[in-house]
This record gives sequence, C-alpha cells and structure tokens, in this order.
Amino acid sequence: MSDIATRRKWDRAARSFDLMTGIGPDKRWEPAKRALFGRMGQGEILFLAIGTGLDIPFFPPGRRILGIDISPKMIAAAAPRVAAYRGELRAQVMDVHDLDLPDRSIDQVFTSCTFCSVPRPVEGLRQLYRVLKPGGELHMFEHTGSRLFPFGLMLHAMTPISRRVGPDMNRVTTANVVRAGFQLDRVQPVFLDVVKTISAHRPQD
Amino acid sequence: MERRAYFIAGDLLANLSTGAVAGAASALLVGPGWPMWLAMPAGMLLGMLLASVLGVAVFFRYFGAMEVMLPTALTGMLAGMLAAMWATMAPLGLAPAALLGVLCGYAALGLVYALDWHLKRSAPEQGT
Repeated sequence: MSDIATRRKWDRAARSFDLMTGIGPDKRWEPAKRALFGRMGQGEILFLAIGTGLDIPFFPPGRRILGIDISPKMIAAAAPRVAAYRGELRAQVMDVHDLDLPDRSIDQVFTSCTFCSVPRPVEGLRQLYRVLKPGGELHMFEHTGSRLFPFGLMLHAMTPISRRVGPDMNRVTTANVVRAGFQLDRVQPVFLDVVKTISAHRPQD
Repeated sequence: MERRAYFIAGDLLANLSTGAVAGAASALLVGPGWPMWLAMPAGMLLGMLLASVLGVAVFFRYFGAMEVMLPTALTGMLAGMLAAMWATMAPLGLAPAALLGVLCGYAALGLVYALDWHLKRSAPEQGT
C-alpha cells in the first residue's frame, strides 16, 4: 500500500461514514446513481471506491464486479452489503495509484465520489486507462469545483479544511479525465455544475 | 431541479433557519458605530461560518451534501452582510434581523434552484 496517509484518513472516517452520508446525500443522489450504474454491462467491472458499500443496493443484479477501496476499515464495514449483492461482487483493498490488475483486463470502470479524494488524480485515471480494454468505458459520479460565482470561490475556500477529514471540493475532474487520455462522451449535471456524471472511454488502438 | 417534497422542505428549512441565525448573529455583532467597510465582510464571514457549522452539524446528514452546503453558504453570506450593513445605519433588533435573514434564505434558494434548472435545461457537455 503506497499511500498510508490517505488510508489512515479513510480508516478514521469509516466509523461515522454511514451516519454522515447514509440518509441525506445517499438518498438525494440515488436516482442519478441508479441511472449511471444501470449502464453496468455483462463484462468485467471495476468499481472505485466502494467505501462502506452504500452504493451496492443501486447496482443492477447479476453483474461481475470487483470493488476496491484504499481503506481496510471501509472494506470491513462493507462486508454485509457485499454479501447481500445478488451477483458476483468481490471487495479488495487496493490503491488506485497502484492497481494490481493486468493491462486491458476490464470492460467498464465506475466511480462514486472517488476522484475528489485521490491525491494524484491524473495518475489514478491513467491507471484506469491502463487496465481498461480498448473501447472500455469509464462512468463517474463525482463532485467537482464550479465555474459559477460565488460557488467556485466558496469551494476553493472550503478545500483546505475539508481535505483534512475527507474530500477536496475544487477538483477539475472532467479536465483530468481528458488529460489522462480518455475520450469524453458525456457530462451531465446532477446539481449545478458541481455534482455530475461523466462518461468517457478508452479509444480503440 | 429537485422535485421531491422531502428535499424541497429540507432545503427550505436549512436555508430559512440559516438565514435567520446568520442575520440575528450579525445584528448582535455589528452596531451603529461600525464602519460599513468593516461591517460588510465581518457579516459575510460570520454568516458563512455559521452556515458551515449548521450545515455539517445538522442539515447535511438529512438533506444532502452540496445541495445543502452551497445554498446555505450563500444564504449565510447574504444574510450576514445585509444585516451588518443595516446595523451600521440604524439599530437592528434580533427579530427584524432574523426576518431579513429568512428573506435572504428564500432569495438564495430561489436563485440556486433557477440556476440548477437552467443548467440542466441547457445540459452542458463540458465542465470542470
């Protein structure tokens, strides 16, 4: 495991994670997440970061999914939800910067509020590019910074504090996806230009 | 734009109460002796700080993350600034300051809903 600081941060958050996010944010985002995860196909699926498994009830049944997270305590907390999934779902501790997966082995990657917290996001996205098959899809549910005044400034102001206990609030994730080599297919707003779904793919060789 | 009654009611509760608290607190802090140039940023900062505390401690877990934090931060900023400006010009009681904050909450939430509706209608294909 290469990123001890990030692992410790999310290990600490694991105890209160469901309490903080299980009612408001999770219910609020449920329709958009169900729509996004409804695109899960029949191939090999990689899901980042599975956390305590709050997103698992939104997965369509019968899929073959590897869920990863940097935090062993998150993975432990997710165990009952992993076991309850009606399909093939495995959860493993893994750092997105250092994916222990072969090149071109995954058909689809899904993320859920992941790249607000990955310390080196373009590097992490390049790892996803590496493991995706040519033509493979990346589907993300993420919150980012904003181009709108005064929300962009607010999110910049909040980030030094929020980063200590959880995510950055001012990431430029759509631009990072393109920077990592993906071809952008669709960006759909969920709330303002801050919460959004991003779909992209690895171009064919 | 949000259409579920639970979340609309939650947004109203979060923004109106944040506005009331920020307006009243700003009126308590600032008095007629304050210069306007100092009262405005002081009220804004106080309002945003109170909005952040209320958002994280109370509203976030019931009504949403960004959907609560951003409108209430705007409400707190507006309510704190306007109540502080008013308080430099004439004595401002707690009840009128809270009422001013409630009106700011309505305005801020309305603005955010309108902006969200506009963005979804135009469905931008690019963003940050």
